[in-house]
Amino acid sequence: MQSYKGRFEPTRFEDLTVTVDFHCHSACRFCIVQEGMNRYRGVPWELYTRAVDDNRHQRRYRRVTFTGGEVTLEPRLFEYIDYARRSGSFEHIRLQTNGRRLADPAFARRLVDAGVDEYFVSLHGHDAATQDHISQRKGSFDEAIAGLRNLADLRGRADLRGRTDHDVCLMTNTVLTTLNVPTLAALVDTVRPFSPTRMEWWNYLPMEDYADERDLLAPMETLVPSLREALTRAQAYGIETAVKYVPRCLLGEHAACQDNTQPDVVIVEEFYDKYPKFACLYEAKCEHSEACLGLHHPYISKFGWEDDRLRPYRRTTPWHEPEYGPRVGSDRPGEGSAEIIEPSRWTALVEGVAPRHGAMLEEVIVQRRACVFRFSLAERDTERDTDPGTAPKIDPNAAHRHVASVDVVLEARDDRKPALVRSRSFNLYYRNIQNIHDLRPAPDAKARLSALVEDAVRTVVERDPGGMLLDRRKGLTGPQALRRQPRSRSTPKPTPEPTPEPPTTGSG
Amino acid sequence: MTQDLAPPHSLLPRDLVDATADDRYFDYCLEPYRPRRPTAGKARAESLLWHSLRVAGQLDAWRAPLAAVQTHVGRDLTVWGVKWAGPEAPATDALWWELYFYDPQKRSPEATIDAVGRALRPFLELRPQIAETTPYMMFSFDLRRGTTAISELNLYLTGQRAHAGRAYRARPDGIELDNTYRFMEPKREIDEVLPLLRSSVFVDYAVDRRRLGQVLIPELFACKKVCIAHKRTCDAIYFSGITVEQLLWFLRRFCYPAAMVDFVDRHQARFEHLWFDVGIDYRWDHARDALAFPKTSFYGTL
Repeated sequence: MQSYKGRFEPTRFEDLTVTVDFHCHSACRFCIVQEGMNRYRGVPWELYTRAVDDNRHQRRYRRVTFTGGEVTLEPRLFEYIDYARRSGSFEHIRLQTNGRRLADPAFARRLVDAGVDEYFVSLHGHDAATQDHISQRKGSFDEAIAGLRNLADLRGRADLRGRTDHDVCLMTNTVLTTLNVPTLAALVDTVRPFSPTRMEWWNYLPMEDYADERDLLAPMETLVPSLREALTRAQAYGIETAVKYVPRCLLGEHAACQDNTQPDVVIVEEFYDKYPKFACLYEAKCEHSEACLGLHHPYISKFGWEDDRLRPYRRTTPWHEPEYGPRVGSDRPGEGSAEIIEPSRWTALVEGVAPRHGAMLEEVIVQRRACVFRFSLAERDTERDTDPGTAPKIDPNAAHRHVASVDVVLEARDDRKPALVRSRSFNLYYRNIQNIHDLRPAPDAKARLSALVEDAVRTVVERDPGGMLLDRRKGLTGPQALRRQPRSRSTPKPTPEPTPEPPTTGSG
Repeated sequence: MTQDLAPPHSLLPRDLVDATADDRYFDYCLEPYRPRRPTAGKARAESLLWHSLRVAGQLDAWRAPLAAVQTHVGRDLTVWGVKWAGPEAPATDALWWELYFYDPQKRSPEATIDAVGRALRPFLELRPQIAETTPYMMFSFDLRRGTTAISELNLYLTGQRAHAGRAYRARPDGIELDNTYRFMEPKREIDEVLPLLRSSVFVDYAVDRRRLGQVLIPELFACKKVCIAHKRTCDAIYFSGITVEQLLWFLRRFCYPAAMVDFVDRHQARFEHLWFDVGIDYRWDHARDALAFPKTSFYGTL
């Protein structure tokens, strides 16, 4: 069965990430948006402002992050920032940047004054030779370091309005490739003088070069010891760390650093089609398989499954194929597996349905593409007690022995797609009927499930106020999301190609 | 090699057979499944069979016999496999087909060897004589370019466990063991999958651990079941219950004729309600120091 590992999904709906036009003055060898550079359009202003306005009322997002492309090249960047700040609805405004333009103290100061309080700066090499080789731009290391220094110097200083209550939070992001894996611990020393709050380490994801012809994928054999050394050093300096796309069981004492969550990114949908998929041989055996992605397919194709190296954590709960994607979480410190946003709002759509059918609302699964209500139907208190016309009671013991379940699924309304019924906001259908034949004695199990589903969808239709959203990315598909492609360089030119000279020697 | 295959521009979407409300859905073991999506406006899996025959220039030759089989056995109840020897094989032999008839409970008189033989008699003869008391749960035979008679049948027998068994090759002059196989859930039964996979004389996994990833292919690992077979000259792995997106990846990975890949690509949405099954025969090619795939296949029902 397909599981969420087959697909990238955002899991932090507290974070709204907004992409600006995709341009960059670096050319990092591993860039995951290389194919989209100068091609993907940024989020349209109208879509952005609508999301911000919505957040003013709903307080769904705590943070807005601007990224791209290189965000500091965006001409309207300060308009975006101002709009977010003036909304007053975000606790933090973050910039994800290569840091090069921050080498200009005035520019860095202007950003801080505008209200950007978090800086997520990409730094992939511990020294100029490494960083400049990776970014393919000479001087990029010196500029990024100058940018970090400028930001560090701005900490605690009063802004133009005389405020000193906002801080400058520095974070770094390092993509792990063969080009920097040997020197990760040294990179910690490089950034230590700027007292970063957090260092993130993202294992390289090939977005187009699935065969890794660029030879950037580092085998776990060499990556893991170097990474763990760096994590240990950062920990010694009091720097928080986070690791993405490295199996948790390989991180040893730093296992808790693994953080594969992703914000709600507004970006051209095509980006996600190229995102590598993940798998782990031990998915069904490992306690952390719902959060740990395992290894991505290009890695497995190149280096194998690492079946001898991976050590699944013993499961304490039964494993079920997580068909709908990872649960919505939070990055709020200390609340790593926080509740879904506005759970009551979603639960309210079907409140009261389950008891009417002797059922339980087992789970409410909210993720990007769907909200799923999982109902389970317990064996009646047998046909032992039942007065006709009264709601059947649930025997909790029986519920463990004989339970049938069904998922009622809500997806964004689309009148072109088939649905059981449509509410104002959603297409509704049911799926994933489980164990109906195990419900004994249950000659009427099918009828009971049917009645339950019918009641659930009718209730949602009645209660859906309209305008409920699962996904902010609507509209970022199709030609309007992409720039026109330049004409191919191979287009025939009117001038004839020069005739190649005949070889001077030849052996036939 | 594709010079003998039909050019893509000649392959029109007329091979698409519309799904109907009466369709039933079975995997290649004839196990029923629920369609992944609503079936209105979708196409039947048999469309891929017809199209592959057209690509090979064999549609006219096999349309009538296959239609006779479908009528006789019943719609949706015959499993077909499209077999591909790879782009380096001679074009005339690169594609062939196999039909599978299931009767595990011996309750389907129309799916016996005798009965299918009678249905096909106007077109070709099934030569091997098999006593119907033989406890086969399924039999199959190949259809190739120029086949005028079936001289080999494959008989599948199970023991105590329905999800494991043996396949025999039956010819008019005798029967021999052809392969053993076992079905497993790839994730839940990984501790049994790995030893069985590694128990091989054709691939030495100890030499290079990366070989496991080339056989237990990550792109197909997300499936409902795997079947591991040990054959006479190679091993095989089957991935059952994959999506049309995975099928498309598989067709590209194993370099199926461009017209077939294009057909699935263009009509992907019309096949998204189906689960597909694929198979890969493999062995280590010592001369090339690489894994060789003498045959791959994909399956559906007719």
